[in-house]
Amino acid sequence: MSERPIQAVVIGAGAIARQHLGCLQGLHEVEIAGICDLSPAVAESMAERYGLNCSFTDHTRMLDDVRPDVVHITTPPATHFPLAMDAIACGAHVIVEKPITRTLEELATLQRLAAAKNCHIVEDHNYLYNTPVRRMLDLVRTGELGTVVHVDATICLNLLEPGGRYMDHNAPHPCLGLPGGALADFATHLASLAWLFVGPHQSVHTTWSKTTDSPLPAEDVHAVIGAERGTATLAFSTRAQPDLFRVRLEGTRMRVEADLFEPRFVTERLHGGPRPLIPFRNGLARARAEHRAAIGGLWRKFSGGPGAYEGLWALLAAVYAAIRNGSPPPVSEEQVLGVNALVAELTRQVSSSEYACAP
Amino acid sequence: MRTLITGATGFLGRHVVNAAMAQGQTVRALVRPATCIERLAWPSGVEVHRADLRTTRLAELTAAFEGVDTVIHLAAGVTGDDDARFVTTVVGTERLLEAMRNSATRRLVLASSFSVYDWHVGHRVLTEASPQVTERLYQRDGYTIAKVWQERVTRRTCAAEGWDLTILRPGAIWGDRNLYLPDLGQPVGRWHFVIGPMRRLPLTYVEHCADAFARAAACGETVGHSYNLMDKHRISTWHYAGAVLQRLGGGRRIPVPYHLGLLLAYAATAFSRLLFGRNGKLPSILVPCRYVARFTPGRCDTSAARRDLKWRPTFSFTEAMKRACHNRHDAAKPTS
Repeated sequence: MSERPIQAVVIGAGAIARQHLGCLQGLHEVEIAGICDLSPAVAESMAERYGLNCSFTDHTRMLDDVRPDVVHITTPPATHFPLAMDAIACGAHVIVEKPITRTLEELATLQRLAAAKNCHIVEDHNYLYNTPVRRMLDLVRTGELGTVVHVDATICLNLLEPGGRYMDHNAPHPCLGLPGGALADFATHLASLAWLFVGPHQSVHTTWSKTTDSPLPAEDVHAVIGAERGTATLAFSTRAQPDLFRVRLEGTRMRVEADLFEPRFVTERLHGGPRPLIPFRNGLARARAEHRAAIGGLWRKFSGGPGAYEGLWALLAAVYAAIRNGSPPPVSEEQVLGVNALVAELTRQVSSSEYACAP
Repeated sequence: MRTLITGATGFLGRHVVNAAMAQGQTVRALVRPATCIERLAWPSGVEVHRADLRTTRLAELTAAFEGVDTVIHLAAGVTGDDDARFVTTVVGTERLLEAMRNSATRRLVLASSFSVYDWHVGHRVLTEASPQVTERLYQRDGYTIAKVWQERVTRRTCAAEGWDLTILRPGAIWGDRNLYLPDLGQPVGRWHFVIGPMRRLPLTYVEHCADAFARAAACGETVGHSYNLMDKHRISTWHYAGAVLQRLGGGRRIPVPYHLGLLLAYAATAFSRLLFGRNGKLPSILVPCRYVARFTPGRCDTSAARRDLKWRPTFSFTEAMKRACHNRHDAAKPTS
């Protein structure tokens, strides 16, 4: 494999595929060998846009013709399982968008087949590779943060906006067919952060509400998680504004807060010196961080890079490095299983009226 | 003659239904399942077929073609991001053509747009033979990319199947539900930066445009041809902005000469390249190729449409504006 570029193909040529393709174009010794979509025009236009030689409308034909080393699956969730099975059967490593499968049984089947074929199967846990989360991990590893006590992850997105992709009554969003509805599209991000900082879950309690006649089964979800190494609160709101992906990590020596949609990273720590001055010094540090974030956010928008998808690009680079070096993939089998077990429990509770709350 | 109209409840579509009925055609309107049609006040006799080009099963789409002689394909994505528009416009067209393949219908009239032309080549007069955008396609906006691909897909399929195709490319369609046009410039609060204030706007009043589509569906001489549609009256951007703002509740017009705006776009691009290389992103109005496509002054030859379609826009600008405002007022009335 070291003598020729790694051959990568992408199945599904929608919006997220553009992030995968944009990243792959920048990776050394990786060649994009094909793109596949059920729509010939979508596949062909994407190939034309990225200067690729061939596009396909049948993934089995692409797998046979190209014999890729890596297959990216960026299709709607219900199709992930059969496509991933086909790709692994061809001996390819597979990178799958979240949620990786509809059920834990399907995930177990995929992982068994991948192990038998000596292939990696990686779910896209992209936000774990965003710079603020990596900085949080460094603070944990170096001991600066102390022991992790609690992690809070909150996503606010105005999915109820008229004309939005979740509000089209004529063409329902693919995730609305999954347990939990729109939450299923975002739960992996929340669950992966909980798993990263406090480990596998032990208890989950969720409340959810729905206040409009939107197609979403639940519009606001709040969950309290008891986990091996601490606690987590996870929230998803389609009504609270402005848009936000806040992660707050609380340790015994420090509290860190970041917005993964923007380059905002704020710390509050135990300083030396008189205790009454700690809030004052933290306040000054916070003001400096907020200014940096405001300017940095604008800069990032004009720079034209991956923006909030920076973690996806970093994750893909790490996966390809692992494939090239023959080392384990950055997202382990255990991690994918743990995260999806939590996602399954969250979406199960959101689908059950027992956990609904009055608006 | 029975005509199937896609996008029938859209801004243009609802007028095309009326125009086709007025010309004696039997109209079948393709309407999405969740769309309310009670307020459209279509004439009785309009056949309604409920289907969504993106999601409805092919057999049900094919059923819409039963007894249809001609399809007027207007459906296109107007909401969502670029990818959503592409899917709605292009994948919707692919599925429509797939369904048509299973039917006996062999004639199609497609709604395209001026945006498919390559405005960088410096047309003195825009004609149907003017070159279309190819090299810089993916630098253009999502609407243009979708319309170019819609034309490509339709042309290919019609050529392969031996179907009769007519393409109509209207300029900026305006009317009751679309008075403020992106071609005017950039609104910022109550200020409206009117770009190229003295240039002629490529206006096509919606009822004139609808009349052309109804005529094209009925006229066999148009097969294999494309037609640009633009009204004959010479209305400057400044004049149109004034007339529209007066009716929309006011606002202050700020004139921005075309070349000054273009200079700003090039300067912003150079600055962006300096800071971020080729990856830099700018607001759409500051991307030179998009600016040129949106604001280039130019003349358009519509003699082919007048000759072959016998198309004669009937209302003066003032009359059209009165009708647009009257219809707009009617549309805003609550239904009982």
